[in-house]
Amino acid sequence: MSLIEVQHLQKNFGAFQAVKDVSFHVNEGDVFGFLGPNGAGKSTTIRCLLSLIRPSGGTLNFFGKSLNENRSEVLSRVGCIIEKPDFYKYLSAQRNLEIFARICGKDIAPRQIQEMLDFVGLNGREKDKVSGFSHGMKQRLGIAQTLLHNPDIVILDEPTTGLDPQGIIEVRNLILRLRDEQKKTVLLSSHQLSEIEIIANRMVIINQGKTIVEGEVHELLEKQSLNLEVTVENAPKFEETMQQHYPHLITRLLYKSTYHIEMLEDVRLEMIQRMVESGCGLKSVIPKRSLEDFFIKMTEK
Amino acid sequence: MLLKNTYNELLKIATKIRSYIGIGALTLLIFIVLFAMKADGKSYVGFVTASFEQTLSFNGKILNGNLIAFIIMQMLIVHVPLLIALVTGDLLSGEEASGTIRMLATKPISRTGIVLSKWIAATIYTFIMTLWLGFLSLFVAKWMFGTGDLIVLNSNGLLILPEADLAWRFGASLLVAFLALWTVATLAMAFSAFAKNSVGPIVSTMSVIILFTIIGTLDVSVFDSIKPFMFTTHMAAWRSLFDDPFPTGEIIESVVILTAHIAGLLLITLVRFNKKDITS
Repeated sequence: MSLIEVQHLQKNFGAFQAVKDVSFHVNEGDVFGFLGPNGAGKSTTIRCLLSLIRPSGGTLNFFGKSLNENRSEVLSRVGCIIEKPDFYKYLSAQRNLEIFARICGKDIAPRQIQEMLDFVGLNGREKDKVSGFSHGMKQRLGIAQTLLHNPDIVILDEPTTGLDPQGIIEVRNLILRLRDEQKKTVLLSSHQLSEIEIIANRMVIINQGKTIVEGEVHELLEKQSLNLEVTVENAPKFEETMQQHYPHLITRLLYKSTYHIEMLEDVRLEMIQRMVESGCGLKSVIPKRSLEDFFIKMTEK
Repeated sequence: MLLKNTYNELLKIATKIRSYIGIGALTLLIFIVLFAMKADGKSYVGFVTASFEQTLSFNGKILNGNLIAFIIMQMLIVHVPLLIALVTGDLLSGEEASGTIRMLATKPISRTGIVLSKWIAATIYTFIMTLWLGFLSLFVAKWMFGTGDLIVLNSNGLLILPEADLAWRFGASLLVAFLALWTVATLAMAFSAFAKNSVGPIVSTMSVIILFTIIGTLDVSVFDSIKPFMFTTHMAAWRSLFDDPFPTGEIIESVVILTAHIAGLLLITLVRFNKKDITS
């Protein structure tokens, strides 16, 4: 069942068309990656999904109902972080959550607020003013705010922006817990493609305000050519072997004696055998079929 | 949801330092006036009554709490709007500047609900400021200077209002003054719906008050047709409560004009905020 259905979404700011034609759907239980380069229209689309921005055209349905006609009901079942969570800095973490709890459309007991602060690892800091929080702590408080009313859908727009590596790992683990423990449907927009690759099961890529591709992450990656990163000891010998046996493959020197090979068909075993036999001193072979390559290919078109 | 968010808004106002700047400044100003009157009030009153002393003889305590309260109200009603705008001009734009508007507008409460709850909170804040002004000017002044009849100098001459006739006049004048301040609060909030920081709405509100006040005092016929409809013309309507005979028609007209301004400005705020794309 589709929990979110976006069809031919458009948004104009005066003469500028920020979103031209974006369509995708998010199924129940999906961790859905929402990708696109800067200026592709991701944030505008997400803001339309959360009724922060009024769309110029298209339809937005949640749980099979129009967002426009059922705004309050829909938003009571959605939790979100848009870019960075902003709070009332002069209030404590607990006070901030109490404020948002009062208007989330459900009755939230004080015990639930404490449980949520525990869940995101902010127990002991609940009485501290948010002005003293680090960016990572604010992000965790943002996730607590998002989950406070036990929403069916969680929308996270660039939740790791500005975080240090430790913070990124913390947020990633929190999202994994949402997926595995709480069985939430998550729409995740991120520039961390490796993260999307690990976490998401479905994704859409948009560019210049239009949907480029949508589908299962592994299926989309399967379709693209397999790349290898090969490091050898004897570079001239390696180049000679490649020229002799695989002249049709695109081989690029990355650095020193490490090469990037774009393969049109999976001939890995045969190629490794030839290299070993040729005596080029094979040191490592790393398969590179990454979302990053796929993303760049899709958005370069 | 509206009541719950109104509680939220009151909580935000109560926990912000800027909310107490107005109350603190008002308290300080009133105590400065009280101190000045205690130190040199007789010569101040003497200056006012000097021109009448050849034809009238004044008996009793002219410099009393009622006169001081009247003087304080006259001096401060002009300045209190700035203190009110300091808080209400920040209500929507402050959320925009801090980014919390995104968090607020993605909750199930409607945009109309957000505006109305902020407006109700602004109304309560304005009412508290008016009450505080009344309490300090009336009760503290009476405690310091005692009571007595009130001498009012107006365009028709000198009017002496008996003490027994003053309680309701002060009460009603505070209500009319509240209506004027409420208009300013709503104006600042309307500007706040158009801005992304709180400086703009506060400056704009004060600019409008200054501009309209100047237009109101200009003796040029071209402005005569608009003067009765400008809210600043009616900001001093509270003073009419101390006239005799009591100008009922004028007071009703002021109440109607100020109420119409409040309704109109609230409507503008609602339309603007409902149509606004939140891109911050």
